[in-house]
This record gives sequence, C-alpha cells and structure tokens, in this order.
Amino acid sequence: MSVTRDDVLRIAQLAELDVDEDTLPALAEQMSRILDYVAQLSAVPASEALRPYVPGPDAIRFRPDEVSPWPLATAPEEFAPAFKDGFFVVPKLGQFDDPAPADL
Amino acid sequence: MSDGKAVADHLIKAKRLNALLTPPKELRKSLQAQAAAARPTGVLYGMPVAVKDNICTLEFTTTCGSRILEGYRSPYEATVVAKLKAAGALIAGKTNCDEFAMGSSTEHSAYGRVFHPLDKARVPGGSSGGSAALVGAGAVPAALGSDTGGSVRQPASFCGVVGIKPTYGRVSRYGLVAFGSSLDQIGVFGRSVHDAARVLSVISGRDPRDATCEDRDSLRLPTVPESLQGFVIGLPREYFPPELDPAVRRACDRAVRLMKELGAAVREVSLPHTPYAVPAYYVIAPAEASSNLARFDGVRYGPRFDGAADLRGLYRSTRGQGFGPEVRRRILVGTYVLSSGYYDAYYRRAQQMRALIAQDFRNVFDRGVDLLFTPTTPTPAFKAGEKLADPVAMYVSDIFTVTANLAGLPAISVPIGRAKGLPIGGQLIGQAFLEDEMLEAAYAVERVVPATDEA
Repeated sequence: MSVTRDDVLRIAQLAELDVDEDTLPALAEQMSRILDYVAQLSAVPASEALRPYVPGPDAIRFRPDEVSPWPLATAPEEFAPAFKDGFFVVPKLGQFDDPAPADL
Repeated sequence: MSDGKAVADHLIKAKRLNALLTPPKELRKSLQAQAAAARPTGVLYGMPVAVKDNICTLEFTTTCGSRILEGYRSPYEATVVAKLKAAGALIAGKTNCDEFAMGSSTEHSAYGRVFHPLDKARVPGGSSGGSAALVGAGAVPAALGSDTGGSVRQPASFCGVVGIKPTYGRVSRYGLVAFGSSLDQIGVFGRSVHDAARVLSVISGRDPRDATCEDRDSLRLPTVPESLQGFVIGLPREYFPPELDPAVRRACDRAVRLMKELGAAVREVSLPHTPYAVPAYYVIAPAEASSNLARFDGVRYGPRFDGAADLRGLYRSTRGQGFGPEVRRRILVGTYVLSSGYYDAYYRRAQQMRALIAQDFRNVFDRGVDLLFTPTTPTPAFKAGEKLADPVAMYVSDIFTVTANLAGLPAISVPIGRAKGLPIGGQLIGQAFLEDEMLEAAYAVERVVPATDEA
C-alpha cells in the first residue's frame, strides 16, 4: 500500500487539517508504513458472520424519565452579555429593524 | 500530610523531570486552599494525587499536552476528580503527557518531553509519563492516568511503580478528554499496590453522567492474601517470544517461581491472535481519535490560529498549527481507514480481529484460568529519541498491553526487578470486573518479588 502525496492532501482535506508542503513526502512515507503494517490483518481469514466486539454494557441503559437538570457549570450571568433579575437582557425589538437607507 | 505548602514544595523538587505542567506558584496556592478545605473524615484525607492533563479539573488548566488547548480551563470537573476531593485527597497539579494521550514515551507533548526519574537520557514511557515519573521519583504517593493501549501500565513498568488499568466500565470517564472511546479507561499509579488500590476504590463505581460506566458499587479492597493457594495463573506463550529481552525474561521467570512457591498453580496457555493485536489497535484507536478530535477546531476550545479567509480555512489552520505531528499522523490514518472504499478492508477487519482477541481470553478463562501473567513491556525504558523517527517501532512497544484494552479487561503492572538499574514490570490480566482477585495476586507478587533487585 503506497500512499501518495495527493492521497495525503485528499485525506487532510477530509480531516479539515492543513498540512505543510515540506512535510508531505515524510508524511506520505510514514502513512504508507503504518498502513502496510496494519494490512497484515487481512492475512487472517475472518468469517463475515463474525460480529465486531465492543466492550461495555450490551444495551444503552435508560435513566428514570425525570426532569432533574444539573446546575450549569458556569452561571448564566457569567457568560451572558447582560443579565438582570434572572433574565437575559437583550436589545429592544425595535432596534432589530433594518436600518434606514440613509444610514448605509 | 495535610500541609498544602509542604506537599507543593515536595512536588516542586521534582521539577527537573518536566513531569508537572502546573506552575509552582499556582500549585502552592491551590494546595494550601485545598488542604484547608479537605474533609478530615475522608478515606484519602491529605493524600496528594497528581492528575494527568487530559482529565478535567476546576483548579487547573486542562491542555492534554497540546497547543490546541493551551490555557484551556474546563467549566466542570471529571467525576474521578470530584470523588477524590470528596474523599479528602488533594489534587496535586496536572501532569505532562503525550499530546491527547497518543504516544508511548511522553516525547510527544507540546510542553517538552518528560525525563525518566532514574536516567534522564531515557523516556518514562507514555502516554501518562508525567504521572508515572512523579510517583517513581517519590514526589506523590499516587497519580491518575489514562490507559487506551497501555498508557498507564507501560510507564508504570518503565518507572518502577504500580499501574492499574481497570475493567472498561469500572471507572467513570465523565471529564476525561476522549481519545479512543471504546478503549479508554482512567487508571491509577501508586508507589505500592495498596496506594493504587485505595485510589481506585475511591474513583470506581456508577456515574449517571457516563453511559458506559457500569451500574456497580465501588470496588471493595481485598485483604492481602497469605498465599496464592487456589489461584490458577496462565502464562500465554505468545507473550514470551524468543526475542524478549533476556533480563525481562529472567525477572518473569523469577516472579513465576515465587508465585508457585506461594501455592499458585501455573500453566502455559495460548492466545493465538495476539500478533494481530497491535495492527488492530492502530486501526481502531486512530479511527476513534479522528472522530473524537474533530471537536477541536478553534471555535469552541482553546486558542484560534486565525488569518484564514473563511470558516473552513479557520478550522484547517487552527488544527494544522494546534496539533503536533503524532496527533496529525493519527488523525490522517484514522480518516483514511474510515474513508469510503477502505472501511471494510481496515476498520471492519480490525473490529472483527478484536472479537477474535476477546474470544481468545474467554477461552482461557473458561478453562479454569483465573489470571494471566506476562511481561508488561518487551524491554526496560528505552532512550529518548530512539523510536521517534519510526512510528511503527514505537507502536510495537505496546504489544503486551493493547490486548487488555481491546478486550476491555482489567490489568495491573507491578515492579518485578531491575535490568542494569532500570525497572522491569510484570503484568497480571484479570477477568472483567474481578479486580479484587487481580489485586490479591498483585499484593502477593509485591510481597515476595524483590522489586529492586537485578534480574
């Protein structure tokens, strides 16, 4: 399995990752080595019926269906631009109107 | 023990190891405040426990050893940290680690490498190398790490301390920054089996905030056994290959002889799919990492590397500059094996191999074997820089530890001797949720095996 420079660029795009032009050749070489190494998995005959194994509970456990909100780690007054008497303070609705053409 | 300043000063003496990421001034201030507030009735009252930097704390920043989280302060704390504090323990700063726990040498931290406590030319192991080095240097009696492929047991072995990876689901992972979600477990380092077991007992148990944490009570501490009468211990032949370091083999042979003298029945067993464990691991772990690390994009956490024309440019430049080379490599490999056309050949195949590896263990345990004994690592601590150029050589050093993660089993590394002064670890792998049995045997090994004698 040989990974090319273009393969690395395509994968990097999928991963939303900038890759330096200078590091491309080394990266392609290292990825080829890693993928060659893990390719030995295909040497073992695995029945298609073999179910993948994941440890942990067999099914998702449900919590009792009760409303019990955990307190916020950060209080609203700490992250709101303005907060008063338990409410978020926002600009008056009228102020959201489109600005008059003269203002532009 | 509850003098916060004394605890901090003792820790700061180990500064040369580069094991602690918390600045001395901040550490002193926090430990004094924590000591004043600690509950005197707690079972860990006054015990300093250092915490790996991928576990969220309110007291200190949580950077995962990465630039992308530089200065990040979590708005909540991990369940394990809350449990330690409730038991009276002091959170003794954050420890350096391989970036996002990816590595086996703690050379992949954005904040510099960690030094081995006995030989500064060598690595302490990884990825929880900072925690292991601090316990190894005697700076703290215990520390937390995380173990995705051996990241607690391997550094414990290298640094001559005890390291436990609990059963998958034994300890809550709420507040652990996810790397490989089907493999990660929070683990414990201790100077002794007892120190590690005490901490494990406190942090284990159910947590409604983690759906993968089993609905079980916290672990009860076993008593130290008089003998190993009634224990059947398996030696998997795949873990003792001809190329095993001779000193590691001698140390294991000696430990086995001493376990037999304590009354254990020892038999050779086979886990035939072991050679495929590392390849399967290096498909599954990067695949999960590429997904888990997608959240670090410069929008919600940590610094933003700006100057991009649009949003995707912002993601790409932040991730490109924020992640180090090993993390970038693993994200790319993970993205590759999950991409269309390769999924069946790599990811599905690796998951099937995982099923075969788990079945190997079940077969052995079903035939009356209680525990398995193996070397923790193929060699003692290697030299810094030795494996940096070749990622595959670094990966292969995880050969004896990744299987327990793939199968979700508990395992412990206990010091069993030295090779030219460097510690050697022996690993006991137990059955799921039978940590008490595993710890009993570990107590016995610790009691009879001369941990600091040359093998």
